Amino acid sequence: MISSAEIVIIGGGISGCSTAYNLAKKGVKNIAVIEKSYITSGSTGRCGAGVRMQWGTEMNCKLAKKSIEFYENANDVLEYDGDVEFKQEGYLLIASTDKEMDQFHENVKIQNKLGIPSKILTLDEAKEIVPYLNTDILTGASYCGKDGFLNPFLTTDAFYRAAKRLGVEFYTYTQVLDIKVENGRVKSVITNKGEISTNIVVNAAGGYSKVISDMVNSELPVYSERHQILVTEPVEAMQAPMVMSFSLNLYCQQTPHGSFMMGRGDNREPRDLRITSSWEFLEQMAKTITEVLPPIGKLRLIRQWAGLYNMTPDKQPIYGKVNEVEGFYLAVGFSGHGFMFGPLTGVIISEMILEEEPTIDASMLNINRFKEGNLILEPSVV
Amino acid sequence: MRIDKHPILDFKRGKKIKFTFNGQEIEGYEGESIAAALHASGVKVLGESILKHRPRGFYCAIGNCSSCLMVVDGMPNVKTCITELKEGMVVETQKGKGKIV
Repeated sequence: MISSAEIVIIGGGISGCSTAYNLAKKGVKNIAVIEKSYITSGSTGRCGAGVRMQWGTEMNCKLAKKSIEFYENANDVLEYDGDVEFKQEGYLLIASTDKEMDQFHENVKIQNKLGIPSKILTLDEAKEIVPYLNTDILTGASYCGKDGFLNPFLTTDAFYRAAKRLGVEFYTYTQVLDIKVENGRVKSVITNKGEISTNIVVNAAGGYSKVISDMVNSELPVYSERHQILVTEPVEAMQAPMVMSFSLNLYCQQTPHGSFMMGRGDNREPRDLRITSSWEFLEQMAKTITEVLPPIGKLRLIRQWAGLYNMTPDKQPIYGKVNEVEGFYLAVGFSGHGFMFGPLTGVIISEMILEEEPTIDASMLNINRFKEGNLILEPSVV
Repeated sequence: MRIDKHPILDFKRGKKIKFTFNGQEIEGYEGESIAAALHASGVKVLGESILKHRPRGFYCAIGNCSSCLMVVDGMPNVKTCITELKEGMVVETQKGKGKIV
């Protein structure tokens, strides 16, 4: 292990790999990424793999739009030998109450203003896109054909390989035990494989972000929440878009392989770091999906898994410096959307560290917004 | 050859019953699996591989390997090695991953 680094990034998920890549591309030498397990072993590799621009806040719309523009060219830009499997077959957001439909109208207004090609659909129009959708229980829908999904493992691998080619050092199966602070500045990162002295640390630890921030006594207003996903046997292609509902608490897409992947959250979950699977999820998910998309009820289940959402009070990420320690940066609190914002996270954090002109002004996503009460609540989250 | 002993399933042979395989009428016994009845009738190719369309036959016989997936009464991906034969069943070779709509 190297004894010193310009920048140490903690976390080998999409945020850490994208940040490392962007910094290295801008000429920063001596970057180390520390990952306690394998690359994408955490929230990135456990996510629902969707990327959408249909958000309710301008900030999230902007982040998502830029990220999707990146994903459209990711294979070329990252000079990837493989394929990140980006498919833009849309997101169909379904509403089950009039109030929810009002929110969709609000959201689409914001989205359209920012150049996102989303639109409100009638139930008949929604049925044209997903013919077996049970519209009896719905009030309307919104749709954006440029939303889609891609493979989180291959996408992170593309960033990882590109960063590696640019000289970034990755240390997998290496756990951060402590971070030394001296005179209010980050001094070194202590791992189970050795110590790396550094002036700059990026916390991109996903579900474990609070554990890392606690090491420098920096208060982080986040918690981790278990979310679960199940996957069915594969069948021939029958559903193009991701179907998602906030009020019914579900998202469901058919993967390129043909299997259906669906998930939901449960905000009554204990706030700990468990990623075990539960029977309750299987039962409730199956009930809901059979009601909304009846034919899917015929499919057999293959497996299930869980991952952590790192939740902030306003369900938007936290980017930037902390108050307590110099040289400690946050790329945390993605509240379930770290994968889709991944390309921009790397851009934003690298610009903050290198004090460059921002591509997108994300300064409002600083940590002080919680203390100052400047929350920008995202209304559209599963 | 007719399978009468199975490591995990109990084949209690009942009366003779009729079913169809790709439209052709075949006889089997109540209490045996669909694949066992097909095998006894000389049907050795149960399906095909997804990518290269190579023949797939009776293999693990205990519901693990997916080599015997067939369309049964319109439902794809049925593990015929562990699904009991019923009178009048319509059994068909599955092409591809199966359609449910």
